[in-house]
Amino acid sequence: MSAIIVNEVSKQFRLQKDRAHSIKELFTRRDRNAGTDHFWALQDVSLEIEQGSMYALVGHNGCGKSTLLRCIAGIYRPTSGSVKVAGRISTLLELGAGFHPDLTGRENVYMNATILGMSKKQIDGVFDEIVDFAGVGEFIDSPVKIYSSGMFVRLGFSVAVHVQPEILIIDEVIAVGDEEFQRKCFDHLYTLRKQGVTVVVVTHGMATVQTMCDRAIWLDHGVVQDEGPAPQVAQAYLRSVNQAESEHPIHVIAAVSVDEADSEGVSKPKPKPRPKPDTGIASEGEHWGSGELRVTAVEFLDFAGTPIEILPGGSPLRIRVSYECAEPIENPTFGFAMHTEGGIHVTGTNTRLSKLLTGVVEGRGSVEYETDHLPLLPGTYMVSVAVEDQFSQHTYDRYDLSWRLRVRQDSDLVMHGLVDIGGEWVLRLED
Amino acid sequence: MSTPAEVWSYRTLIVNLAQRDLKARYKRSFLGWMWSLINPAATLGIYTLVFGFFLKGTAPIGGNGTLNSFALYLFCGLVIWNMFAGIVNTSIGTFASAGPLLTRTYFPPECPMVAGLTTVVLQSFIEAGILMFFMILVGNVSWTAILILPIYTLMACFAFGIGLVLGLLNIRFRDVSYLVGIAMQVLFYATPIVYSLDIVPANFQRILLLNPLTTFVYAMRQVVYSLELPTLNNWLVMITAAVVSLVGGWIVFGRWAPSVIEEL
Repeated sequence: MSAIIVNEVSKQFRLQKDRAHSIKELFTRRDRNAGTDHFWALQDVSLEIEQGSMYALVGHNGCGKSTLLRCIAGIYRPTSGSVKVAGRISTLLELGAGFHPDLTGRENVYMNATILGMSKKQIDGVFDEIVDFAGVGEFIDSPVKIYSSGMFVRLGFSVAVHVQPEILIIDEVIAVGDEEFQRKCFDHLYTLRKQGVTVVVVTHGMATVQTMCDRAIWLDHGVVQDEGPAPQVAQAYLRSVNQAESEHPIHVIAAVSVDEADSEGVSKPKPKPRPKPDTGIASEGEHWGSGELRVTAVEFLDFAGTPIEILPGGSPLRIRVSYECAEPIENPTFGFAMHTEGGIHVTGTNTRLSKLLTGVVEGRGSVEYETDHLPLLPGTYMVSVAVEDQFSQHTYDRYDLSWRLRVRQDSDLVMHGLVDIGGEWVLRLED
Repeated sequence: MSTPAEVWSYRTLIVNLAQRDLKARYKRSFLGWMWSLINPAATLGIYTLVFGFFLKGTAPIGGNGTLNSFALYLFCGLVIWNMFAGIVNTSIGTFASAGPLLTRTYFPPECPMVAGLTTVVLQSFIEAGILMFFMILVGNVSWTAILILPIYTLMACFAFGIGLVLGLLNIRFRDVSYLVGIAMQVLFYATPIVYSLDIVPANFQRILLLNPLTTFVYAMRQVVYSLELPTLNNWLVMITAAVVSLVGGWIVFGRWAPSVIEEL
C-alpha cells in the first residue's frame, strides 16, 4: 500500500525581490510587469512511497528537496499536480521549531508534541522516554534558552520521533548532533521502520541512502533525474557529482582523471595541474597538512611494478606513496584507507598500527604497501593517503578520498558485497 | 481553506498555544498575572481623571436610580473596546509570530489565530468580572448583565474577522501595523466611549452610528449600567457586523494564508 503518492507535482515561486513590500511601493513601482518573475522549484515530480519503507531525497543544495518535503507535509500547496497522503505526518523540518525560549523544556515538549498531533495523555505516556532519549536530565525544568545547541536539537528530535507518527518527514536535521546522537537517531529510525512507520528523509549522506533506504529520488533544479532503488540512485548521483567535480576540480593534484579513461574516448578538458603535478591518479577529496613532508605521488602497481588503473579482483597490488621532505623527520607514520563511493570504510592501516618504525626520513623516497591478493569485489574504491607524526597526532600531509582504485570483474565467480572472503560451498548429504 | 470542523479537531493544539502565550506572557515578571488587572485599572484611572475630572464628563443616572458614576460609565465602554482592540492587535501579532511554526509543520493556520483570540477573550472576561464586582459594590445589577455573554460573543466574531484580514495583510505590507495603530486611535475617539452619544450634534450622531462599535458600546452600557435591554435594532446591527466580518475574514484568510505562509 502506498503511504504517499505524489502525482506530477509542480511548484512555482514568485521571486521575492519583485514584490511590493509596502503599500507605497505597491502604488509607486514603475516596473510592475517585473512582478511576473517566477521560478519553478519543482517540475512534474511524481513518486510513490510504500507504507513502511524508507525513502530518500537527494540532490545538491537548492534542488527542490525541501520544497518537495513541504509539499508532502502539506505546508506548501503545489501549483499543479496532487499529493495524496495516507496517515498521520510528523515533520522534522527544523529541530525545536516550536520551542519558546522562555518556557521550560517540559512545557516545550508538551507544546511541540501537541503541534505534532498528540494528546496530553499520549504525551504523558512517553514523556520520560523523550527526556531519556534526549539526555537533557535535570535541565528539563529549565527554560530552553539556556540549553546548549546540542541539547536543543536532541530534545527536538526526541519529541519528533516519539510522537508515534505514521509518516515521518525529516529534513537534514540529524546531521546536527554529535556522532553518538546520530547513531542513536538512526537506530531509532530503524526501529520505527520496523514498526511500519514510513520515513522520508533528505540527506547528503550517501552511506545512509545506500544502507538504510529502500528507494530514493534525485532532484536537480526541481527536475527528477532518477528515481528507483536507493543504492542505484545514490550511485547515479555520486557519479554525476564526481564527474562535475572532475570538470571543475576543487582540489586538483592530478594530471589524469580516471573518469577520462573510463569514458570511452570521449575527451574531456583536462584538469589544469596544480603546482605538484605528478601525484598519481584522480583526485576529488580534501587535502591538508603542515607540509614538512609532502606526498608527491600515489600509484597503484601490479606485481611487476607496472602502474595500473583498473585491476582484476583477487590480484596482487602494491600501493606506492612517494614523498619529499623539507627537513629530516623521525619515524613518520604512513597510512592509507579505502572507502566505497558511498562512504563505507572498507579497510585502512598505517605503519604505526603495523608496528613498523620508519626511521629518520629525509629528501625524497617512497613507501609501498604490498598484498599478493586484494580480496575486494568489483567496484570503485576511494583511496585516502596520510602521513602523520610518530603518534598520529600531527598531520604532515593528507589527501582524503583522492584516488580511485577500480576493481573489475575477472571471472564468472559472482559474489555480492565488498570483499571476497575466499570460501567454498560444500554439500554434505546425509544418507 | 480549513473548515471550522478541521480547526476544531486541532483544539488541543489551540489550547496549548493559548496556554503557551499566557505562560510566556508573564514569565519573569514579578507581579505575573496581576498585570492583567493592573493594566485596565491604570487605563481606567487615567481616563476617569482626564475625561471625568478635568473635562467634567458626566454620566446618566444608572439603572438603580441612584448611581451616577462617570468612571463606571466609562468602564463599560472601555471593556468592550479593549476586547476589540485586543483581538485585532493580537491577531496581527500572532500571525507574524506563528510564521516559523507554520513553515515547519502543518496545521491549519487558523489555529494560532483562534488561540490568540482565546487569550484576549479570557482577558476580557477578567475585565468584565472586575466591572461586575464594582457594579455589585454600588448595588447596580440586574439580570440584564447576563447579556454580556452574547454581546461578547458577537464582538469576538466581529473583531476576529477584521483581525484575520489585517494579520494576513501585515505579512505582505509591514505598514499595516503602523496604520492600524493610527486607525485604532481614530476609532477610539470615533466611538462614544469617553463621552456619550447624546453630547454629539445630531448629524454627527448619524455618522457615528455607522460605526458598529458605537452600537456595541451602547449595548454594553444598556445591560450593565442602565440595566435595560438593547433595542432589536441594536441586536441586528451587532449580528450583521459579526457575521459579515467573521465569514468574510475567514474566507479571505483561508484563501490567502497558505500563499502568504510560503513567503514567510
